[in-house]
Amino acid sequence: MMETHDVLIIGGGPAGLACAVELHKQGVTDMLVVEREAKLGGILRQCIHDGFGLTRFGESLSGPEYAGRFIEEIRKRHIPYVTDTTVLSVSPDRVVTTVSPSGMRFIKAKAVVFAMGCRERTRGSLAIAGERPSGVFTAGVAQSYINLYNKMVGKEVVILGSGDIGMIMARRLTLEGAHVQAVFEILPMPSGLPRNVHQCLEDYGIPLYLSHTITDINGASRLTGVTVSEVDGQLRPIPGTEKEYACDTLILSVGLIPENELTVDAGIPLDPKTRGADVDEYHQTEREGFFAAGNVLHVHDLVDFVSLEAEKTACSVAEYVAKGCLPICSVEVVPGQGVGHVVPQRVSGERDVTFSLRANRKLASCSLEVLQNGVAVMKRPLRNVVPAVMLEITVPKAKLSPSGIVEVRLV
Amino acid sequence: MRQLFDVLVIGGGVVGSAIARELARYELSIGVLEKNLDVCDETSGRNSGVVHGGFAYDTGSWKAKLCLQGNRLMGDLSAELGFDFLRCGKVLVGNTDAEYAQLERTLAQGRANGVQGLEMVDEKRLHELVPAVIGKFAMYSPNSGIVDPFGLTIALAENAAMNGVVYFFDREVEDIRRVDGIYELVTNDETYRCRWVVNAAGLGCGKVSDMLGITGYKVIGSKGDYIILDKRTGPLLPMPAYPVPSNTYMGIHVTNTTDGNVIVGPTAEATGNFAYYGVYQKNIDYLAESGSRLWPHIRKQDYIRTYCGILPKWVDEKGVIQDFKMEIKDDIAPNAVNLVGIESPGLTASVPIARHVIDMMREREPFKPNVAFNPRRKGLVRFSRLSPDEQAELVKENPDYGQIVCRCQNISKAEMLEAIHNPLGVKTMTGVKYRTRGMMGRCQGGYCQMRIAQLLEKELGLADTEVVYSRKGSNLFVGKVREDKA
Amino acid sequence: MTKTFTCIVCPNGCEIRVESEGGGISSIQGNLCPKGIAYVKQETLSPKRTFSTSVRVLGGELPLVSVRVVRPIPKERIFDAMAEVRKIVLAAPVKAGQVIIADILGLGADVIATKDVASAE
Repeated sequence: MMETHDVLIIGGGPAGLACAVELHKQGVTDMLVVEREAKLGGILRQCIHDGFGLTRFGESLSGPEYAGRFIEEIRKRHIPYVTDTTVLSVSPDRVVTTVSPSGMRFIKAKAVVFAMGCRERTRGSLAIAGERPSGVFTAGVAQSYINLYNKMVGKEVVILGSGDIGMIMARRLTLEGAHVQAVFEILPMPSGLPRNVHQCLEDYGIPLYLSHTITDINGASRLTGVTVSEVDGQLRPIPGTEKEYACDTLILSVGLIPENELTVDAGIPLDPKTRGADVDEYHQTEREGFFAAGNVLHVHDLVDFVSLEAEKTACSVAEYVAKGCLPICSVEVVPGQGVGHVVPQRVSGERDVTFSLRANRKLASCSLEVLQNGVAVMKRPLRNVVPAVMLEITVPKAKLSPSGIVEVRLV
Repeated sequence: MRQLFDVLVIGGGVVGSAIARELARYELSIGVLEKNLDVCDETSGRNSGVVHGGFAYDTGSWKAKLCLQGNRLMGDLSAELGFDFLRCGKVLVGNTDAEYAQLERTLAQGRANGVQGLEMVDEKRLHELVPAVIGKFAMYSPNSGIVDPFGLTIALAENAAMNGVVYFFDREVEDIRRVDGIYELVTNDETYRCRWVVNAAGLGCGKVSDMLGITGYKVIGSKGDYIILDKRTGPLLPMPAYPVPSNTYMGIHVTNTTDGNVIVGPTAEATGNFAYYGVYQKNIDYLAESGSRLWPHIRKQDYIRTYCGILPKWVDEKGVIQDFKMEIKDDIAPNAVNLVGIESPGLTASVPIARHVIDMMREREPFKPNVAFNPRRKGLVRFSRLSPDEQAELVKENPDYGQIVCRCQNISKAEMLEAIHNPLGVKTMTGVKYRTRGMMGRCQGGYCQMRIAQLLEKELGLADTEVVYSRKGSNLFVGKVREDKA
Repeated sequence: MTKTFTCIVCPNGCEIRVESEGGGISSIQGNLCPKGIAYVKQETLSPKRTFSTSVRVLGGELPLVSVRVVRPIPKERIFDAMAEVRKIVLAAPVKAGQVIIADILGLGADVIATKDVASAE
C-alpha cells in the first residue's frame, strides 16, 4: 500500500522542525515529519544547558525550550508528524519505507528532506589502545544518561576532546558532584567555542591540556585509569611523555559525523570533507528531489543557524514541489587555502548565495576570499578565526557568473 | 550443599557447552560452572569465527581429524541450532616460489587429512574468487567457512539448557577434592558435588588439570589482537584470505564475518597473563600495515573497534605446540575428563570434541539415552533480514518488532526482549549484544545502549548499579542523578 | 592593569580587554556589542552565571525535568543553588515555564522547568 506526500522530512529535530514550519508558511501542507524517538525535538531534548536562541529569539534558552518553540508551531499549524517511527530505507526514486509499532508504511514523496543529524565518533573508530572496560562514554551518551535517564555515570572523570559537548559535560558532571580531573585536546587549540572554555572549564577550575591525547585505557571490568601523552606537530604521541590518570570515567568528545546511512541508501554521493551530501545552493543533493539541512549536511555549532539553514531549504523545497524542478547549478565550489570545507558545493552563479565554511587552522587575522575563475570577487577581513566557529559569507549574484569554478579561501 | 550432579562441566564456552549438550542426549543431571557472567566472554567469543578446512594440522592429529568432522557437520548444525554459518571458502595467498612450494605441501597435507576440494589456483582464478586481494596464486579451500562464534556458543548452551542442563554463572572453580568417590568442586561461591567432572576450562585448563592432580602440563597463552572494519568493506572480501601459513601460526589474515564486517588479525604473542585483553597500539599499526599487503582496503575511517583473544596452547619443554589433549587418567583422577590445549581449531571441532569426550565416558559407564532430547533450537528472528512484506506481517503480530532500538542495524525491541529473557538467565549488556548483534554497528551503542540498559533494568528488575557491561564489576552507573526522596 | 575576558553572552565569545586603574575601569575594548560591556563590568564587580540541571519527577513519562535559573546569579553561589534544587521532588505533570523555585536563595532569580513532563499512562 503506497501512500503519497508532497514532502517527507526525515528527522524531527531542529532542522526537520524548522523546515516543516517554514514549508507550511510557504503554503505546503501535504507533508509528513518522521521522527524515530517518542517525542519531537531531536538532540535538543537532552541539551538542557542554555545558550540556544540568542540570535533567533534574543533569549538564552535551553535546548528543550528552543525545540518547544518550533513544536508549538507544528501543533498550531497541525503539521502532520509521526514519532516512534524509523525510516528503514530510502529508494533513489523517493519511496521511503518506515516502521513503527503501528506497522510499516511505504511513502512516495515528491521531495525528501534529510534532517537526520549526526552521530558521535567512537573510541573504537579511533582505535585507542588498551582494554575495553565499562565507564567509557561518548559525551552525548553520558549526557543522555544524566539528563534523560537519571543515571549518574561516574565519579572520577577524564575527558578527551574539547569539543562543545565535552566541555558542556565537564560542567554538567561537576555540578552533579563528579570530579572532572582534566580535559585533553589533541589539537593545539580548543575544538569548541571560546565561551565554553571559559564558562565550563575555567569557571570550575578544570584544566585544559592542549596537544595531548590518550594512548592507553586500563581496567578489566570498569575503567581504572588512562595514560595521557603529549603529541607533536603531526599529532603523534611523543614517547616518554606518558602520564597516568586514575579515573573511573572517560568521556569522549572526539567529533560528530553526519548520519547519512539513508542518503547513501538512496544512491546519493557525499562530500568526503563534510561527510554530508554534496548540495547546490538550493540544498538539493545530486539526486533530484532530495534535499538536506542541518547537522546531516555539515556539523553546526549553533542551532540558530541550523534553523535558518532548514528554513532556506524549505523555500527551495516549496519551489521544487510547485514547479517540479529547480534550475541547474553547474558551477563547482571548492575549498581553497585555509578552508576545510564549504557548503554549498555547487552554485548557479545567477543568484545571491551564502557560503558556510570552516577554517582548517587558527588564524589571528586573515582575509576570507571568494574567487571565480581565479579572480577574487569578494574579500572580507576577519580576526580570531578558529575551526570551532563556522563562518559565513554572502555573495550577491552580481559578483558571480554562471561559469567558472568558485574557490573560497582564507589567506 | 547442592544435589549431586552426574556431571559438572567446568567452563561454559563453545567446547564446554558442546559437551553439555551432547551429555544432555543421555539421562544425566548435568551442570556447567562458568567463571564469567555469560558463555562467550573468553576465547569462544574472541576469535576469527573461521570454520577451518582441516589442512593446516599434522596428519593423524586430533586437530586434523576433529576439525574435518566439525567442518563437515557445521552446515547441518547451523540449521539445527539457528546460528549463522557460511561455507564461503578460503584462499591462502602467495607470491614467491618458496610460498608456492609451501602451499603445495599444505595441500598435500590437507588431502592426506581427508579434506575435499583443495586446489591450487592461478592469479586469474584467484582474482575471480577475491578480486580485491594482492597475490599471484593461492590454495583454495572451498569447504572452509565462517561462523558467528557468539551465535554458535550461545546456541549450544541454550539448547543444552533447554534440555535440562543447569548453567551456574560467576562460578570459578578454586579447588577440587575427591571424597568417597565423589568430586567436590569448591568455587568462589558454593561447593558443587558430582560423579563426573569435565575440564573444559579453556585458558584455565592448566590450573584445573593441576587441581585434578594431573600435573605437568605447560599451558601458554597466545594473545591475538584484531581490528574490526565497517560493513562497507564487506563486499570487498567474499571469503577469508590468508598469507601462506605454517603449522603453528595462521598469519595476519583478513576474514569476512557472517554479518558483513571484515576482521583484520590476529597478531600472535606469547603471554602468561590470561586476564589482560588490552590491544597494543603497535599491534593496531602492524595489523593495518601487514594486512594491507594482502588486501589493501584497511582504512582508519572504516575502523569499528579492536578486540583481543587468547588461545591456550599446550607446549612441550621445548615450546613446541602440542595436539589437543583429551584424556581420562583413571589412576590419578577417575571419572574426570581432562581437556588441555583446546585452541584453534577448537571452535570448528567443538561438537566432535564433545562427542569424543562422551565416547571416552561411555567406555567407562553406560549412559541411558534421553528420549526427550530435542536437538533443535530456533534462533532469533532477525527483523532486518526479512522482506518488507514479512516485516509488515511480523509487526502486525507483535508491535515490538516495529520499535527499532539499534538503528545502525535495524534491530527491534522484540529481538532485544527475547535476548534479555534468554534461557541461560544472562543479564549483561553484552549478553544482549552477542544475541542480537546490537551495539556492534557504526555508532557502537551510541544510540541504543541507553535503551538496552533501560530494558534490562525494567525487564529483569535490576538496580542502576546492577546493570553491567560484561564482567562482574563492569557497572555502567554509580547511582542515580536524583533520588526519589530529597 | 589589563585583564582579558571571554564574553559568554553570545556565541561570538569576544575577547574583551579591560584596563583598570585605581578602583575603576578606564577602558573596555574588543566587544562587538554593548552586552559585552555590561558583561565585563559585572565580571569585574561580581561575576554571575546561569546554571541548568534536573529535578526528579515522580509519576511522569520521564524521570527528570530539566530546569534552569532565569537570570545569572553570583558565581560563588552556584553550588549552594544546586543543593537547593536537589531537595525538590515534583509530581507529574510539570509544564515548561513552571516556577520550580521562586527567588532561589533570595538572589532574585527563579528556577523554571524547561520542558513538559506529562503524567505516565
